[in-house]
Amino acid sequence: MDVTAVDRSAVLGDTLLHRAAPASKLVSAGLLLGAIVTVNDPLVAAGLALSLVGAGAAVRLPLRQMLPLALYPALFAVVFAFAAAPGPATGALFVLKAVTAALTVVTLMFSTPYPQVFAPIQRITPTIVGDALLMTYRSLFILAEKFSDLLRAVRLRSGVSARQPVRAARATARALGGLLLYSLDLSQREYDILRLRGYEGGMRVRRQVSTDRSADAAALLYAALILAVVVVFRALPHELGGYAWLVTVVGAVDLATGLRIGRRT
Amino acid sequence: MSHIHIPDGVLPWWLWLSGWLLALGLLAVASRMATGAGSRRAVPLIGAVSALVLVSMSSEIVPLAYHINLTVIAGVLLGPWLGAISAFIVVLVLALLGHGGATVVGLNTLVIATEMTLGWALVRGGLRLLGHKRVRPVAAISTVITLAITTTMLVGIVALAGTGATARETGALDAETLEFRNPFGDGVFTIGLLGDGHDHAGETEEEHAAHADDDHDEAGGLSVKRFAAVVYTLGPFGWVLEALVTAAILGYVARVRPSLVYGTPAAEYRVRYGDEHGGH
Repeated sequence: MDVTAVDRSAVLGDTLLHRAAPASKLVSAGLLLGAIVTVNDPLVAAGLALSLVGAGAAVRLPLRQMLPLALYPALFAVVFAFAAAPGPATGALFVLKAVTAALTVVTLMFSTPYPQVFAPIQRITPTIVGDALLMTYRSLFILAEKFSDLLRAVRLRSGVSARQPVRAARATARALGGLLLYSLDLSQREYDILRLRGYEGGMRVRRQVSTDRSADAAALLYAALILAVVVVFRALPHELGGYAWLVTVVGAVDLATGLRIGRRT
Repeated sequence: MSHIHIPDGVLPWWLWLSGWLLALGLLAVASRMATGAGSRRAVPLIGAVSALVLVSMSSEIVPLAYHINLTVIAGVLLGPWLGAISAFIVVLVLALLGHGGATVVGLNTLVIATEMTLGWALVRGGLRLLGHKRVRPVAAISTVITLAITTTMLVGIVALAGTGATARETGALDAETLEFRNPFGDGVFTIGLLGDGHDHAGETEEEHAAHADDDHDEAGGLSVKRFAAVVYTLGPFGWVLEALVTAAILGYVARVRPSLVYGTPAAEYRVRYGDEHGGH
């Protein structure tokens, strides 16, 4: 999980989605998550996943970095599907739901700086939770880099080897122990800085506005259309169930078109 | 088993919504308790410990494909109230990185908060009972007990979903009803994928609907027995590994910064300048 890549893309990226207002992207992501919760047909879910990848490709989001993150939950979903799904189609649906939901949130995070994503959460949670959320994300990058350095140092001393899992676990534990102490020191330094700056609780995030209204409209329309299709297929399962394969085909067309547009621009 | 790797839209809405409401209630209480103790100190501490848990969850132990969680250690350092806030933050950031569903954030928060609280209570209680020299065995045993309990919680959540959930509520679709129809030739061909061999072509719409409903009911919800069998078979390997790592880390911390494990809660702990890297 390369969190630094997420932040780099969110802050430095310049795609159509980056130009939309965070509020529009959050609403769109909410609508898409609603569609994922509602979908009960694996063919519709597959179409939704393909279409999302196509949309990402069309606006030239860094899919090479996004897809491994989005596919990661599939590993756990496969285990869950194997353990709990009543049949193969349901199992496939579970995996597709996991991947599509991950793709939705990953798309949001790759195109929106994290303070803007956390801002609405800050508004509905107690002050300490919102502030700690921002501090967590900030500390995450520092600790991830520090841990990577520690592991590299251990590896250079042949401490982590696939052939010796016990030794590898011991070396990882030692590195994490060092990281724990470092993280406590870090929290103390941050506390001192907060005191110096007169922090009394309540970090405010300045709301980012849209620089391209058409980007907002496109994101919202796309998400609303997806949700509408899923709701219709869910509401009329007997009448439309047999035509769900058409959604997969449309998703595949979306993907092909998106890849083509992405290559051209 | 520290967090539920259940995708969005699998658990019934009433279950994940209840999870969200309970988690928000827990957060409100925890925030009030934490603010009373001084939020200025708590905010960076929760941030650093939550980030540590997130980093550990993103590092896999080669070649076992298992990621450690450090939730027991986070519980020992933060205590139950700050731990509950940290649990929510960890789960939320994980969900935003695609690791765990957004709808199950509430349930995941309850599971991880329980893990942190139990870990804190068992380690502190164990050390008081057995003495400071036994920090490693106390940490290991506490971790195994904690993870066994939260795994049972997880099975309980799936059982709640499984017993009450019909195929439609869980979003499940029966393979036997999965069919492909031609939109240009009404009813020209209808193929049941992995089908039961029944030909529904001659049925009236009502009969077809009744069949489909029967199929949905038979498909039912989640298979709780199979799920329990899988998690109780694979789980213990993870528990033992997590216990060993937790014991090693807490043993190391107890050696270089004993006050963090035995004495003052981390929220009130302060390192003297010049002693940041352990002077014991």
